[in-house]
Amino acid sequence: MSEYKFTEPVLTVKDLVVKFNLRGQVLTAIRGISMDLYKGESLAIVGESGSGKSVFTKTFMGLLDNNGWIDSGAIEYGGYDLTAFKTERDWLKLRGKRIAMVFQDPMTSLNPLKTVGKQVQEAFTLHNKVSKEEARRRTIQLLDDVGIPEPERRYKQYPHEFSGGMRQRVVIAIAMACVPEILICDEPTTALDVTIQAQILELLKQLQARYGLTVIYITHDLGVVANVADRIAVMYAGDIIEIGRSEEVFYDPRHPYTWALLSSLPQLGVKGEDLLAIQGTPPNLFQEIRGDAFAPRNPQALKADFVARPPYFEVSPTHKARTWLLDPRAPDLAPPAHIRHLRTLRRGGIEHAT
Amino acid sequence: MVRYILGRLGRALITIFLVLSIVFLLMRLLPVDGYFEGRTDLMSDTVKNVILKDLGLLDPWYKQLFDFWRKLLLEGDLGKSIVIRKNVPVARLIWPKAMVSFEFGIIALAIQQLVGLTAGVLMARHKGRLADKLGNLYILLINALPAAVYFLAIQLYLSSVLKLPMLYDPINTSSRILPIICLSLGGIASNAMWMRRYMVDQMNMDYIRLARAKGMTSGQVAFRHVMRNAFIPMAQSLPTAVLFTISGSLYVESLFSIPGLGGLLIQSIQRQDNTMVQAMVLLYSVISISGLLLGDIAMMICDPRIKLTKKGESR
Amino acid sequence: MKIDRQPYRPFFRRFKDYKLDKMQQAFRDAEQADPAEISDDLFEFAGHDIMDAERIGYSNYSYWRSTFQVFFKKKVSVFLLAFLVALLAFTFIQPLLPNQKDPYRVYNDEAGKTLMNVQPNEEFWFGTNNIGQDIWSRIWSGTRTSLFIGLCVAMSNNIIGIVLGSIWGYARKWDKLFTEVYNLFDNIPYTVLRMLLMYIMRPSLKTMIIVMVLTGWIGMSKYIRNLILIYRDREFNLASRCLGTPSRRIIIKNILPQLISVIMLQTALAIPEAIGAEVFLTYIGLGLPVSIPSLGNLINEGRRVMLVASQRYQLLYPVLVVSAITISFYALGNAFADASDPRNHR
Repeated sequence: MSEYKFTEPVLTVKDLVVKFNLRGQVLTAIRGISMDLYKGESLAIVGESGSGKSVFTKTFMGLLDNNGWIDSGAIEYGGYDLTAFKTERDWLKLRGKRIAMVFQDPMTSLNPLKTVGKQVQEAFTLHNKVSKEEARRRTIQLLDDVGIPEPERRYKQYPHEFSGGMRQRVVIAIAMACVPEILICDEPTTALDVTIQAQILELLKQLQARYGLTVIYITHDLGVVANVADRIAVMYAGDIIEIGRSEEVFYDPRHPYTWALLSSLPQLGVKGEDLLAIQGTPPNLFQEIRGDAFAPRNPQALKADFVARPPYFEVSPTHKARTWLLDPRAPDLAPPAHIRHLRTLRRGGIEHAT
Repeated sequence: MVRYILGRLGRALITIFLVLSIVFLLMRLLPVDGYFEGRTDLMSDTVKNVILKDLGLLDPWYKQLFDFWRKLLLEGDLGKSIVIRKNVPVARLIWPKAMVSFEFGIIALAIQQLVGLTAGVLMARHKGRLADKLGNLYILLINALPAAVYFLAIQLYLSSVLKLPMLYDPINTSSRILPIICLSLGGIASNAMWMRRYMVDQMNMDYIRLARAKGMTSGQVAFRHVMRNAFIPMAQSLPTAVLFTISGSLYVESLFSIPGLGGLLIQSIQRQDNTMVQAMVLLYSVISISGLLLGDIAMMICDPRIKLTKKGESR
Repeated sequence: MKIDRQPYRPFFRRFKDYKLDKMQQAFRDAEQADPAEISDDLFEFAGHDIMDAERIGYSNYSYWRSTFQVFFKKKVSVFLLAFLVALLAFTFIQPLLPNQKDPYRVYNDEAGKTLMNVQPNEEFWFGTNNIGQDIWSRIWSGTRTSLFIGLCVAMSNNIIGIVLGSIWGYARKWDKLFTEVYNLFDNIPYTVLRMLLMYIMRPSLKTMIIVMVLTGWIGMSKYIRNLILIYRDREFNLASRCLGTPSRRIIIKNILPQLISVIMLQTALAIPEAIGAEVFLTYIGLGLPVSIPSLGNLINEGRRVMLVASQRYQLLYPVLVVSAITISFYALGNAFADASDPRNHR
């Protein structure tokens, strides 16, 4: 395998634990995640709803809801430990300027009562002291960069005069206003039509190439992942259970959950056979989880999976998974037929950013 | 936009026409004693009939209605007072009183908006904590208790504590303080409640999250986005509020002996001056309808989302 | 904050191997295990029944039970409820108690002089008014009257409101017409309308109730109509219908709880409003005749003598009673509205 070309860690997470207080009960949303984010890469975080993907990235910007807190762990970025940030002032050094976020639903992400131009310009003027004309000029330039036609005219228009795809471009423009180092895209295409999805992803790739961004994509859509990701992190019940380069995760997955996830892709279904679905539901995060969180839904779980939480086992320098199946003592288990089938589909390989 | 305004104006005019006609016809049901200066026992039936005929009250209802509109639109004649000032045109009695009410009302309105909205913002920012709880308690009391109770309490106790006069006196400026306080209380409560609710709702919206992700402080977010947005729905109620200052508060004016329009209405009712009552009810209705019309137009101007042809919706 | 420390017991009961149970307790959550600590024999397939994962715990959620749970959690609500119930009970039991006076009777002392404006003492617990009537009994009689008015108005408004509101909401054809009529009436300020109607119809107990209903039913109808519009086309009703749920069950399970909450809330709020309106109308002179004691009358009478310090008690006691009743009803109404909102259920 060729070497992974992104090697400089720009953000490091160490044993992060995030909890929430819901009506008096404590829920552990992130159960101890450690990972590195490398400069210039596209990392895709995949997982079911409720696996903690959004919560995880919100901690990078201090956007956790009021009833949530970081219980333990550290996040190192730019020389700061983000878990030590207490006041909003601290976060303002980063938000928008060095770390920016693109949200899911462009319909509701914009203030309906303000012109688009003002909203984008605001993102710019919050962090730069320039004259009004200069700010306006830059904003129109920005709108043009994200592919909005007739930016001069559009500057004065309101969000409801834009289509969904256009609105998402505006949101991206807002995020890009100060050319951040890290761009977090929380399900950027989920609320859009399929045809627009491709356009938006293309735009994001272009911007990344042009500005050398590090992008995190949060999605549950493996099609999007195949399109853009250099690395994939699979999350389940508040933990990253497998992480590796995208071709490794797609063609050589090791965790039973990843198998199940990939197998449930309708595209991999064989005509005439039942579609594979994963039995059961994710665990209750109000309760303490012992062992491997996926074990109860895994027909091939080992006894050890119920006893203790597996550590990361390395499959390659860039690919590791948390499963006892990778322990040398574990029985040899072949992934399901669908996964092996996927390998054969790889004729020329899937085009992606690596 | 022009089409919308015209359409709305048209509907308002029709509403005025219908409402006034209904009110006018309702007034025909008034006990006739009101036309005789209260000295019905001394008059014979013939005399009564003459008076009634003179006032046009014995004619069939459709003729009366027609005459009423004709007199009103062509001659600007609302009739003459019967009891309060005999034979003085109603308009001349109403105008100066309206000015007095307006004076009180506009000051109270300003206080209501300033104090109420600020309170609402504070309550939303400190949601769940002391400021919020106190505010909610205040709102609860104002809404639950009959106005009589706290007006009386203010008149009685605050006047002795603050050494303020209990009744209004044109010369003594400090005598205006208590009535203005009374007038403002309700408005402060409703403004505060509304603003708090609005801010709390907006705080959970997606675009606020985006604004924060841009790097705005929550103070900036609250001010530049939420409060700015809050003024749009408020624009709708503002014209009505302003217009209603003319009508004055019936209660407060009566309690503090303020010679305003509200007091005049109560007097007219208590002394059974039918023409006055009729004229003032008409006035109130016109004020109410115009207020709503202006409010809708104001909202339409301020809110960029409302388009040209909006079908009439019920509020 | 209790943290529930329940490991995956259900799955373990499938195993005959209880050693695993003990081993599990050695490894705490969020601490990954060192492979060396896991014995070799654990690397076998567990062979558990994954269908267990499908058996989600059945939730025995009951709407009313949760509503009452949330309601009673707040101590203030419980206190107010107890207080109000006691107050209401007393209001109606009062005439039956011993030593109670007649609210209408004028009391004279032995010499035949009317006992006017007597300060509260042992015989007249709240004193007498300027005619010589016992204020204590007048207050309770007045409370009964005012409550009676409030309840009648509330009930009538509810019934008319629900009937008309439902038609308004369900029959799409009539929606336009009703809405126009509503807009028309909305433009007439209701205070003035009330005054006007009382003026025309001459004040009495009956007319007061009628007038308040006439100005009140519209609001209730609109409210019900809005609710129906929201719920009629809600997906869960549609889903119920698709599943073949009989209409009766849909109505009972989906719509009725909502309706009952609304009714109770409106009634609780209507009573202070009715009392307030009655006080106001009485003040203007369009209220109940003086012969019928009512809270409005009492406050008005008390107001007339409030400038005389020694007679202030005549204002004080009615005001206290009115305040207690209105605040309790209003606060309870709001507390109940909050509790019956399913979003506040745990």
